[in-house]
Amino acid sequence: MSQSLWEIKWNKFWVSFIEHGSYQKVLEGLQNTVIIAVAGLLTGIVLGTLIAIIKVVPGKNPVLTFLKKLCNLYVNYFRGTPMVVQLLLGYYVLFPLLGIRMSSLMVCVVIFGMNSAAYVSEIMRGGLLSVSSGQMEAGRALGLSYPSAMMRIVVPQAVKNILPTLGNEFITLIKETSIVSFVAATDLCQAFRDIGASNYEFMVPYLVMAIIYIVLVLIITYMVKILERRLRRSDH
Amino acid sequence: MITEGSALIKVDGLYKYFGENRVLRGISAEIDKGEVVVIIGPSGSGKSTFLRCLNLLEEPTYGEVWLEDKLVTPVDPYLHPDVIELSKTYQSLFSAAKAENPGKSDEALKDELIAKIKDEDLLNEKHEGRAYKALVKKIYAENYININLARQKIGMVFQQFNLFNNLKIIDNITLAPIKLRGMSKAEAEEKAKTLLERVGLADKADSYPSQLSGGQKQRAAIVRALAMDPDVMLFDEPTSALDPEMVGEVLEVMKELAESGMTMVCVTHEMGFAREVGTRVIFIDEGVIQEESAPDEFFTNPKNPRLRDFLSKVL
Repeated sequence: MSQSLWEIKWNKFWVSFIEHGSYQKVLEGLQNTVIIAVAGLLTGIVLGTLIAIIKVVPGKNPVLTFLKKLCNLYVNYFRGTPMVVQLLLGYYVLFPLLGIRMSSLMVCVVIFGMNSAAYVSEIMRGGLLSVSSGQMEAGRALGLSYPSAMMRIVVPQAVKNILPTLGNEFITLIKETSIVSFVAATDLCQAFRDIGASNYEFMVPYLVMAIIYIVLVLIITYMVKILERRLRRSDH
Repeated sequence: MITEGSALIKVDGLYKYFGENRVLRGISAEIDKGEVVVIIGPSGSGKSTFLRCLNLLEEPTYGEVWLEDKLVTPVDPYLHPDVIELSKTYQSLFSAAKAENPGKSDEALKDELIAKIKDEDLLNEKHEGRAYKALVKKIYAENYININLARQKIGMVFQQFNLFNNLKIIDNITLAPIKLRGMSKAEAEEKAKTLLERVGLADKADSYPSQLSGGQKQRAAIVRALAMDPDVMLFDEPTSALDPEMVGEVLEVMKELAESGMTMVCVTHEMGFAREVGTRVIFIDEGVIQEESAPDEFFTNPKNPRLRDFLSKVL
């Protein structure tokens, strides 16, 4: 009996994946995907929190006003252009002009971090505003400086409130990494594209690829849930 | 300016405008050590704003607040005739007035012009010249106290408690002493537990604020303020957000605090508390102090018609 079509396709994939060693490429791609998304998110949280704080600090000091304008410009640029455009501009224009030489993986980390910062800053701003102003007042009334009250009291509560939205941002980043092949970086998507191209058999590789993405996202969703539960201790 | 006497808090010519809304219109008061000053008044009368100006949660539009002879607010030039005299506005007015009334003495002109400048709010920070600015700066430098340092000496209790929701009760209490007073964690926690015991909350140290009732929250908030060993405690309607059956437990703590000799300034609607615990009662309406006297006199023999009207409604 002849083999079914699926068996043939699966065998072709299996030969390429295991016997020709292209699983190594997938592992490398997976690693890069995770590195870019995690590093991007962490950069995004730190930079985004800073931007959000600058935006919510009350006051009319000229330096502050200038910083606020700068932050608005930054957020508008990164939210107003597609990430592919930012990646291409960074890789082919910005960094060469600045004379900075970086691996394409590093460029991806930086651009993803900067992009994420723009989104996280808006999420965080909402989070900061959701914390009642009495919390800051009580901190200041005790003699804490604005930065200490912010970091010890307001930011932790804001982070707790926005955790589900931050989880979303992480998922978006994981998925967006599929564009990094535009600047010659290898991610999960590129690895499977290469496998398919090696023997003109795309069906199975792309299905497996989709499954891996889904599993990745499910793992993140689960981790965010655990984190939420732990942080929820303070409101029973 | 060196203030005479030893008032713990001295408020001079306090005005506070929120845009068009003139909430405080010239309040001066002194609060001595050991006093329990109760501030009453209809809602919207400015009493809470007055309290919040004392620790600069609201920045006054005009006026100065002094804590233990140290300046908490910025310098208000209108309160310093020597500053006004150095201003370009004064000098140009003076030479004009001198030309008009050559017969008048310099002294009389000076008094007249200073009063005029105060009344008509004629000073403009930006155009008063170097000597004026230098004197303002000098007065500030000689008298100011860093606001965060001042606030460490002024405990505050809020209507909405404002316990830090992300911290356990014990951490709510020890946060400031550890961070600002350099206490060790063990030392601060021991102190916090003693204070919690005093207000009957020893078993709540490891709870989060959301697990406490309103009355318990407010008692914990009082402990949080006390943990900094403040020289004075401000209470901003501490029982107004409580269910009726919890008001008593908080007033009890405040009463004990007063008996222990703490200087207190309380904005409240609890007339019983004012009468029993207060050493002085102040009635604020429309942004000015309408009447102030000892509680007995205040309640049995009110002079101001507004106060009489107010008391007839609340008593």
